[in-house]
Amino acid sequence: MKTRIAGLEVNQIGRTPWPLTLLAYGLPTFFILIPLLSFLTYSFFWVKGTELHSSFQDLTFLNYVRIFTDQIYLPVLWRTTVLCLEVAVLAVCFGYPVAYFLASLQGRKKYMFLMLLLVPLLMSYVIKIYAIRSILGGNGFLNRFLMASGLIDQPLTFFVFNLQAVLLALTVLLIPFAVLPIFLSLEKLPRNLLEASADLGASELQTFLRVVLPMSLPGVIAAASFVFVLAIGDFLTPQMVGGNSGFTFGRIIYSQFGTAYNWPFGSALSVLLCAVVIIAIVVGSRFGNKRGLA
Amino acid sequence: MASRRLLLELKSVAKSFGATRVLDNVDLAVEDGEFITILGPSGSGKTTILRMIGGFTTPSSGEILLDGKDISALPINRRPFNTVFQDYALFPHMTVAGNVGYGLQIRGTPKAEIRKRVGDALGLVHLGQFAERYPAQLSGGQRQRVALARAIICQPRLILLDEPLAALDVELRKQMQLFLKGIQREIKTTFLFVTHDQEEAISMADRICVMNDGRIQQIGSPLDVYYRPQTEFVARFFGDNNLISGQLGTATGDARVLNTGFGGLVCAVDGQPDVAAAPGGSNAYAVIRPESIQLGISGVDLDDCENRIEATITAVEFSGATTLVRTQPQGSGPLGSELRGLETELRVKLPSRADGTALPVGARVALGWRRIDSRLVPV
Repeated sequence: MKTRIAGLEVNQIGRTPWPLTLLAYGLPTFFILIPLLSFLTYSFFWVKGTELHSSFQDLTFLNYVRIFTDQIYLPVLWRTTVLCLEVAVLAVCFGYPVAYFLASLQGRKKYMFLMLLLVPLLMSYVIKIYAIRSILGGNGFLNRFLMASGLIDQPLTFFVFNLQAVLLALTVLLIPFAVLPIFLSLEKLPRNLLEASADLGASELQTFLRVVLPMSLPGVIAAASFVFVLAIGDFLTPQMVGGNSGFTFGRIIYSQFGTAYNWPFGSALSVLLCAVVIIAIVVGSRFGNKRGLA
Repeated sequence: MASRRLLLELKSVAKSFGATRVLDNVDLAVEDGEFITILGPSGSGKTTILRMIGGFTTPSSGEILLDGKDISALPINRRPFNTVFQDYALFPHMTVAGNVGYGLQIRGTPKAEIRKRVGDALGLVHLGQFAERYPAQLSGGQRQRVALARAIICQPRLILLDEPLAALDVELRKQMQLFLKGIQREIKTTFLFVTHDQEEAISMADRICVMNDGRIQQIGSPLDVYYRPQTEFVARFFGDNNLISGQLGTATGDARVLNTGFGGLVCAVDGQPDVAAAPGGSNAYAVIRPESIQLGISGVDLDDCENRIEATITAVEFSGATTLVRTQPQGSGPLGSELRGLETELRVKLPSRADGTALPVGARVALGWRRIDSRLVPV
């Protein structure tokens, strides 16, 4: 027997109509799985001169051999991974207090501040990077502030066109993504646990360290893996603020598809990056689903 | 039990949220070592009292005294009380042992002692083998016992229980009631238990404080509130009481006559100086428990009943252990309007018998009850 309220089936005995099932499986297959598989396939093709060899009779592992034997690619991948881990840690460290502040607000105020936090996400990525560059640059706000306060007498070049600049820019850009999961995990935290903790004699700090922090850890892990994945896939930010020394794995891939025009090799590099991302997500969800905290 | 030491005292405590007054000048004394139950319907202010004692809410006015000292300003974590919360509020990221030992850890108790005392507390609630489980792996009744062990381990002066059995099914509730009462006798700690369930309150408490609309209606032993209600609310709250309205008549010692459509009913007024001294002619109800009324059928004599009424049986309802007999009092033409409850009937509850149908509907019977089985409450 099927009962419907507002067009939705209420008792779950009946089946989902087949067009919905088709969409639910079809869309991800078509727009995510097939493109990924085509990348994987491409990574076994090869280029000679400007000619693409894309025959299935003539596949090669050479692209992968090149990644693992060349002196450039693995070190850059390693450095990029470390950089993005740093970004994730920094974003979480800055994001946690913000999320905590948001969660402690009441009613309308809370959602107003949340909206404010989300406004930068609606802005163009390029504009934000330009803005950050103008803050960090030689003649930028940061340097002028430091000079005016007498801390330095020469503008520092430390903030632009190197890996530190990439680190700072990525962190600033991705903090909102760190705030949201942490905020949600703090929102979910049952308030009576805080009362129970105080009732058992805990001070505010003890309650925070023993109840709030461990219980928001899944949110923290989610935030960190979120930021890490977004950071490691980004090539635009390193391109614009990294200069020559701020070289990241994303930029290498970008150059293979652009200037080098070697799509098969770029695909092989992408597959490797994809593996790193998948590992990050798996590790993140492992930690997030610790027993008792589902 | 008579000369217990005073532990906690609420002195004209009031609480308002905005314009809503949820507690109205409540005075309550809790004695050391007793099991006191605060009973009332939802919204009566009973949970607010518990939360104010625990420190989760501050009173708008009045004092809360512990050993004679005002503790209204003391923060939650500095009060020597522990709470069993309605939905247990166990920490999901800690094991059973972690939950139970939390209070001791906070106090910096040495590890070995924590382990020992956690073991003892879990033994007391029969959960010794569950120490390493997580709350999510326990049943409702087991979680309940973890919450109890967590509350008693710090040896608080007072344990506050906020409807702790509300989420359990009937069978488990009964078990837990006995269990809680047993634990309380064993550790001799004062329990303040909040519930909306009359049966629960009666079967567990040493004393019951009945609340309604932010006011205390009556404080007394279970027998007191059950058989000697002092307000109309209490009379109606405990089950199926018959309430007969009338005007107060002459007073003789510890009895007083209520003039009703059935003539004068003699009611006991001992312990109710207000009613005994009220001016004649003022309105009141006579309250008679349905199981206190005797039916003048064969083999029953109503000689010791000061009050007797002729009535017609209108319905006989078998409900297991007891049978409810609905009767229509004689000559209730003019009386009808004066009987509240189900208009014009008097309900009589009898122990059931196998030949329960021996009471024919339509038969005329005599009803009788003793003076001490009818109480007077002001309208």
